[in-house]
Amino acid sequence: MLCDKCGKNNATTHIKQIINGVVTEHDLCSACAAKEGFGKFSNGSLAEMLSSMFGDIGAVGAGTKAVRCPVCGATFADIAETGKVGCADCYRTFYSELLPYLKRVHGTVKHTGKIPNSTPLAEKPQEETAENLRMELNRLVSEEKFEEAAVIRDKIKKLEEKGNE
Amino acid sequence: MSSWYAEKSPQDDIVVSTRIRLARNLSGIPFPARMTAEQRKDLNLKVKKAITESNTPFAKSLNYIDMSDVPQTEVMAMVERHIISPEFAGSNAERAIILSADESISIMIGEEDHIRIQVILGGFQLEKAYEIAEALDNLLYNSLNFAFDRNLGFLTECPTNLGTGLRASVMLHLPVTESSGEISRIADSVGKIGFTVRGMYGEGSKPIASMYQVSNQITLGISEKNALDNLKIITEQLIDKERGSREGLNRVKLEDTCFRALGILQNCRVLSSEEMMNLLSRIKLGISMGIIKTEAMPIKLLIEGQPYMLMKKYGQLEPEERDIYRANRMREALA
Repeated sequence: MLCDKCGKNNATTHIKQIINGVVTEHDLCSACAAKEGFGKFSNGSLAEMLSSMFGDIGAVGAGTKAVRCPVCGATFADIAETGKVGCADCYRTFYSELLPYLKRVHGTVKHTGKIPNSTPLAEKPQEETAENLRMELNRLVSEEKFEEAAVIRDKIKKLEEKGNE
Repeated sequence: MSSWYAEKSPQDDIVVSTRIRLARNLSGIPFPARMTAEQRKDLNLKVKKAITESNTPFAKSLNYIDMSDVPQTEVMAMVERHIISPEFAGSNAERAIILSADESISIMIGEEDHIRIQVILGGFQLEKAYEIAEALDNLLYNSLNFAFDRNLGFLTECPTNLGTGLRASVMLHLPVTESSGEISRIADSVGKIGFTVRGMYGEGSKPIASMYQVSNQITLGISEKNALDNLKIITEQLIDKERGSREGLNRVKLEDTCFRALGILQNCRVLSSEEMMNLLSRIKLGISMGIIKTEAMPIKLLIEGQPYMLMKKYGQLEPEERDIYRANRMREALA
């Protein structure tokens, strides 16, 4: 079998990617595989694949001011480069930057599994703090669910008014 | 206490093992890739204390092991026994694990995530494995502050593990399904519902020993119960399919294949690990089809015949020497 890319050499690397159920397959020679970032088949390849996915998302944000996570000091560029998030707080700091990528990986950004310290595997409503609501608002806006977002926005307003009283 | 691979287990004619992994992190400190040595040591002790000072049976049954005290050969042999990951074995950072005597429970501290709870059981035991992992998860959560977000679930270093942080997998022995060329079609269809099938040993398109691992890929937007239920259904279908295809085989040809493998293993003097694995795969098939009668356990032999497991037993060996010791071991076990 000849390489899909160059059509000259024998294909020795079979790449099968399944992202959200969409299967793509390529047969590549070792030179083209290396060029495409599939050269190394250590478990590092996942991180490389991730960073290549981040790459095109990260590029949009490049050039804007470098925000650093207050806990670990990571920038979004660091995360995009390694495919690894710096700490738990990065998810808050870089929520909107990460969101499109998370959707690509998982198809959704709504956790439906276990909630710590609750009945196993059961759903429990979260406390409506301004912080939690803001995260929810971000999520709804990015999903273009503007009507639901407006409801949350009003809730935040009310909470903040209460706080100022 | 014997290991999971040294005991008879449910449905182990096809399902070699069941594994549950939960990824957990603490809030307020960086993920392992950005941790300092001090933070790592501190984390190791925190997790150790959470277990040893818990008022549960785990406090007695689990042992804390500082990886810097473990000889390199044993570290690599732990990888071969699936206790730790190759990445964890290869790291020079301050690492520790918590391990049960039968090695079915291991908690890697400071691997890709702060905490990786792993439960591995022989055969098909998804519920039981998850039950144990969940008990440990609850225990650790009682004294450690896990990073959790309402929308993103448990927060992990790699975004692909967000949500439940659960990777549930089964290792299947599918020699007949494999020879019918159906694995890639199966991989496609389980891929559509967020699961993957990959060769357990060997890389690329030619897996060794017909062993395949099926695991969930999606962790966000799917509950633990759904992930486990789906994996159970997929596994049951694969078991039925493999058993059905085995029934349809030409008996004489099958006997020939199995006895040829047995003949080589009983008489070889030099044996590579790849050849050993492929031959033991046929012995396993022969045993489950009632063709080969032996007390020997192919999966146990397959693990014991791995390079570092041999060196753990016989001392430092060159690759050529290992092939000789491996051949001796197989002749002895299958005599």
